[in-house]
Amino acid sequence: MSGPDGSALVVNGRAHPIDGVPSHERLLDTLRGRLDLKGTKEGCRTGNCGACTVLVDGRSALSCLVLTHEVGDEPVTTIEGIAADPNGRRVQQAFLEEGALQCGYCTPGFVVALTGLLSESPGATAEELLTDLQGNLCRCTGYAAIVRAVRTLRAEGP
Amino acid sequence: MIRADAPAKLEGRIRFGTDRTRPGMLWAALVPAPVAHGRIRQLDLDPARRAPGVVAAIGAAEERALLPGRGAEATPIFPGEIRYRNQPIAAIAARSLEEARAAARAVRAEIEPLPLLADLDSVLPGWPEEGLPADAPINAHVRARHGDVEGEFARADRVRRDAFRTSGVAQVPLEPHACIAWIEGEVWHVLTSTQSPFGVREDAGELLGLPPERLVVEGSWVGGGFGGKVAALVEPYALLLAAASGAPVRLALTYREEFQLTRSTLPARVWIASAVRGGHLTARTVRLLLDTGGSLPGRDFATGYAIAFLLGPYRLDAFEVEGYAVRTHKPPFGSHRAPLAPQCTFAADGHTDALARDLGVDPVAFRRAHVWTAGDRTALGQEVGPFGAAAALDRARALQEEWRRSMPAGTGLGVGLGYWSTGTGAGGEVRLSLTPERLTIHEGEREIGSGSVVRGLVAMAERTLGLPADRIVLEYGDTATAPYDAGVFGSRTLGALGQAVGAAAHELTAELGRRLGAAGPARLGVEGDELWAAADGRRSPIAQLLTPGERDHGGLLRTGRHYGRSGAIDPARVHAGEFYAYHDFTASVHLAAVQVDRETGQVTVLRYAAIQDAGRVIDPPTFRAQVEGGVAMGLGTALTEEMLWGPDGRLENPGLLDYRVPTLLEIPPIEVIPLEGFPGAGPEGAKGVGEPPIIPVPAAVANAVADATGVRLYELPLTPERVARALMAR
Repeated sequence: MSGPDGSALVVNGRAHPIDGVPSHERLLDTLRGRLDLKGTKEGCRTGNCGACTVLVDGRSALSCLVLTHEVGDEPVTTIEGIAADPNGRRVQQAFLEEGALQCGYCTPGFVVALTGLLSESPGATAEELLTDLQGNLCRCTGYAAIVRAVRTLRAEGP
Repeated sequence: MIRADAPAKLEGRIRFGTDRTRPGMLWAALVPAPVAHGRIRQLDLDPARRAPGVVAAIGAAEERALLPGRGAEATPIFPGEIRYRNQPIAAIAARSLEEARAAARAVRAEIEPLPLLADLDSVLPGWPEEGLPADAPINAHVRARHGDVEGEFARADRVRRDAFRTSGVAQVPLEPHACIAWIEGEVWHVLTSTQSPFGVREDAGELLGLPPERLVVEGSWVGGGFGGKVAALVEPYALLLAAASGAPVRLALTYREEFQLTRSTLPARVWIASAVRGGHLTARTVRLLLDTGGSLPGRDFATGYAIAFLLGPYRLDAFEVEGYAVRTHKPPFGSHRAPLAPQCTFAADGHTDALARDLGVDPVAFRRAHVWTAGDRTALGQEVGPFGAAAALDRARALQEEWRRSMPAGTGLGVGLGYWSTGTGAGGEVRLSLTPERLTIHEGEREIGSGSVVRGLVAMAERTLGLPADRIVLEYGDTATAPYDAGVFGSRTLGALGQAVGAAAHELTAELGRRLGAAGPARLGVEGDELWAAADGRRSPIAQLLTPGERDHGGLLRTGRHYGRSGAIDPARVHAGEFYAYHDFTASVHLAAVQVDRETGQVTVLRYAAIQDAGRVIDPPTFRAQVEGGVAMGLGTALTEEMLWGPDGRLENPGLLDYRVPTLLEIPPIEVIPLEGFPGAGPEGAKGVGEPPIIPVPAAVANAVADATGVRLYELPLTPERVARALMAR
């Protein structure tokens, strides 16, 4: 499905027309405001907290710093669609078992970012994954349980 | 045990305050004061009213018109006199957020600047030995003493005096404050991300002049609170806009505003002196100047209780404390996870650590020799109940010796001892309803992340009744439907509401035992799909134990209450101001291992252990998570977090790039060690652990830095620049 001018945003496998979306609108606002995908969290809006992380063509991106029209035909995956990715389900399960969440506001960003990293670098070590997760902030857990979840995932293999 | 809220949070299905909407909702923006102190001569809202999409633009005049019944003595929501920079002087509701923000920028204000008090030093350059000038901007003065202070100092064979400075720190929840307000007839409603729906009803009701029956507050899921969401903040503006526009209004702070407007811990200056005779700590005097920002006179809550933390948890023959709450042109001082306790403990425990080193005594042994045990009295004369400090210090000492043997050369080890009063004196209530299928807990608090509601309350019902967690449901009410509770703060939720759940559950088991014809209480269980009760060899499905009325209407109901309680201080020791009695004395002893880069001043925490006086651990994973999170937040206070205000009262680092909270790789492995056996007043003797784990962190780190380098830091946070300067000055 696409709009009259042909522009569409593909999110979690579904195409949404975006020809009415202003050129300056951020992907975060399109997802939350127009598509009602509120699982992607609005935090700082300056690219410093990671709460709004989504996958664009499989790579993690801060949706507060991406313009909707920049995305083109690259598929977007949000937390609502992450379980369709086997890595997404593994990450969710590891976070569940290790209790790697408290208030839950940073959680979708962590799950999506880690899913993207696992798909992008299947052979990455736990230390490499943790280094790449530094852009995601958590104020509740002290990261300890998140680190345990990442180590559990790595112990299971790629 | 998996938290009941975990699957929905991991799948992005939880709706926080920022996620909520209502049909026909308008968007709001606040108009920030462009100066930190000034008088508004004229406010011109017409340019905003003419802007596209605007439905309402309100300032002080509209506020008065909207609140005709409010008393003349009420504090205005929109000020005539601006008390801090960015204080909202007007607010806009519009059809879109962009339009609201554009209109907010169009507001014109004519403001007469007034003299600015930017910080403590511009009010008082040091401790006012000669007394205060008559016109000093002071919100509160506290003074207490006991014993022969001057005599003990005169007789001392060793005296140590230190001065400390601490920084303002922000809570930094990932979710900024957000609410939606609407009016239905006479009743004003607000749905908000808060730690205390009833507290917001009290605060906002007072500001708006609304009695409790005309203001209904509903909590949403909360994306982190840390004290910043205890009091009303955004709600009064949204409610006024809803009244002015006739439509639901959503107001969420921008992340920048979250830093600029949230009430938090502000800077302090501390002076401590101790007298020692024959190796015994005999007397201590402390002085505190606390920046309380734009707090209104009489609204200081921190000085009187925080100052006691400067004495430490020690037996003293004589003491004197004196402090002033100083007014400056910053946002008011507010609650922040154990407000001011990490800062006071940094000073008090650092001073004690240094004193022991002066005496050539092991610092842990020195603390151990003077620390309270049950039956001792605090400086203010309150009896200390079961208190795990001595046992925790023994653990820390053993651990320190073990680490000393295994850590590389150059590593500094530091112990920090802090304490807190957990539980709070505020009361609360819950209602339980048992049906053949499940137990429902009706209560008024929302989960803020700590797990104290979704795990703590459920765990109490599990333990008391014998039911599995998947048969226990939490039903959150609003302030019109839920039983009263003061809020999720003060490390009180498990101790207060958990106690109430336990009490109600005990009544249920007793009643079911009676209905079974047994002598004692029943235990519940699940068979197939049904709940059963059993006692004394008798057993029955719950369905058969309920009356027809109970089966058809709401189940078997029981209410549980927690009555706030606290000890008593000796009023003869109080000479000025208000001091507070504490509740459960709860000790935290931490051990930090650090390395210090002598060229850059960078402090790296290699390893960390937290020994927490827990009374009784009710839910081990939740307990561990609270301690880990508290330590990490404390490492931010210790090493990087500092709100910086300019001479014009402007917060210069209102964002995550310049205000640095810890990131993932900056947190070392944290060993969490629960200490049981020193029971508190909570259920089964539990003590609250929401706040305690943050308290000794800056002290432990600073003591470890002193151990590594021989140089002690007297100012928080321990930034590379401060550490490098201190090393160079040696």
